[in-house]
Amino acid sequence: MSGPAFGVLVVEDDVDLASLMALVLGDAGYRVRTAPEGGAALQRVAEEMPGLILLDMRMPGMNGWEFARQFRARHGRAAPIVVVTAAENARARAAEVDAEGWLAKPFEIEEVLRIVSEHAAAGQPSAPAEP
Amino acid sequence: MVPSAPPEAPPRREQPTDGRLRGSSLYIAALFVVSGLAWVGLSGLAIDRYVTDPALQSRLRTFEDVVYVAISGVILYVLISRSEERLRRFGDELHATLDSLGDGVLVVGADGRILDVNRAVTELTGIQRRQEHLVAIQEWTQRVNLRQRDGSPVAPEQFATLRALRGERPGAYEAMIRRTDGSDLPVSITAATIYDRAGRPRLAVAVVRDTSEALRLSQTREELLATAAHELKTPLSVIKAHAQLLLRRAEPEPGLQVIVRQVDRLTRLVQQILDASRLRLDNVELRWERLDLAETAAVVVTDLGPRPGGHPVTFEGRGGAWVRADRDRITRVITALVDNALRFSPADSPVEVRVGVRGRETIFSVLDHGVGIPPERQDRVFERFYRAHSGVPDDRGGLGVGLDTCREIVARHGGRMWFQSEPGTGSTFLFALPLAGEEARA
Repeated sequence: MSGPAFGVLVVEDDVDLASLMALVLGDAGYRVRTAPEGGAALQRVAEEMPGLILLDMRMPGMNGWEFARQFRARHGRAAPIVVVTAAENARARAAEVDAEGWLAKPFEIEEVLRIVSEHAAAGQPSAPAEP
Repeated sequence: MVPSAPPEAPPRREQPTDGRLRGSSLYIAALFVVSGLAWVGLSGLAIDRYVTDPALQSRLRTFEDVVYVAISGVILYVLISRSEERLRRFGDELHATLDSLGDGVLVVGADGRILDVNRAVTELTGIQRRQEHLVAIQEWTQRVNLRQRDGSPVAPEQFATLRALRGERPGAYEAMIRRTDGSDLPVSITAATIYDRAGRPRLAVAVVRDTSEALRLSQTREELLATAAHELKTPLSVIKAHAQLLLRRAEPEPGLQVIVRQVDRLTRLVQQILDASRLRLDNVELRWERLDLAETAAVVVTDLGPRPGGHPVTFEGRGGAWVRADRDRITRVITALVDNALRFSPADSPVEVRVGVRGRETIFSVLDHGVGIPPERQDRVFERFYRAHSGVPDDRGGLGVGLDTCREIVARHGGRMWFQSEPGTGSTFLFALPLAGEEARA
């Protein structure tokens, strides 16, 4: 299983959805922080680099496209980005910002957990998966 | 010298006062010939009769000819200037008409040179002086930086005007031009041919239409749809995820499963509305690939998941039903048809899905033993927003966008969709797609 210290940053303007993801991922043992828009997310990233960023695209303030652009410019590929979108073609959205993955809304909880655990496993090769 | 013909009549087609002018020209010419003949005959006779001195006779004859030529000249001058005046007035009217058009018009000669442009062309391009437009069409396209919407150059053989000059009938194509202020303008270009009397292309008339407003509207609509999708799907995500979260508890409320299922249904409806609108916009790019329709249908049937009442769904079909299709969209068509069959038939009755090859087509069908469609409503089944079961006891809800969209998707694949239905017995919905030939493999 994924390491408990794996950090996930949820960038999502919908408070209910953000807190739900925090709840689900927190239950699964991940360290979750949330940001309601891109600007706040860049601050969180500057404080502490997460293992994975779950990124909504349409948000008031800085949107997902702009966040992805600035994040890449400042931090390169320090953390993988998974686009969470309601767009018809989630894959195309992910390609637009050169993201590592995508999740189409509405999603299954299992799917969120699977994607995060995959990235957690890939992101922490040195940490033993099962102590 | 005796001029024998009236001045050349102006070209027929371009002259609205054609009949009148032509008639009066003939009349004047006839008058001219008759009076000329009378003058020649009578003056000759008079000279012969009343003048006996040969030297004087000869001088008088010269004078007679000079008078004839002078009168001819005056008549010709009057005739030609009248025609010219009419032509000029007609030309002015034509110019004023062309200048009042919102679309740009270019008149191109058989040699490919632009002969005239209207005011809209100067406004669209920003090149204000008309003279600067009167160049070879290739040079003009370079000046305005004509290119495809994706930025690639337009090959000269694609130019609507040059195609029109070859006698083709080019359809409108979408392009971009660059204005002198550096801004880009989306345009659609079409051209028509004007033939000479021998049937050879003489001129091409190109029409350049500014499509920026239409493009802006369609982008606004796209934007609106994307926003609507986002706004609807986010709350659906929250509801669904919370229900799923609660379902993970030890003893979940049975109603939670219903919530999840209904959220899925709402999600499908949202998707259907988006699909329908997008197809209307006609700007949906289909992502073509070669796929096996039997395999695609089998996947849909396998993925149906838990069904209310446990409808038995059978699948029959062998592989090799190769078609050229957009996998996502054809999957949606199959899902919608199977979903309909499940919704409109009793929970324990079987639904049969088949994929077979007949001739050069592959045929998908889904048969149910459900309520069927009343005969008087069958004609309208594929109408947008029409619901064959609305107001009847078997109304199972839905927005009525499904079948309409399905048929449109199938049509855009070069296929067709139809159904057979009998109330009380059930319905079969079918669609046929052309089999992908060997060339599709490449």
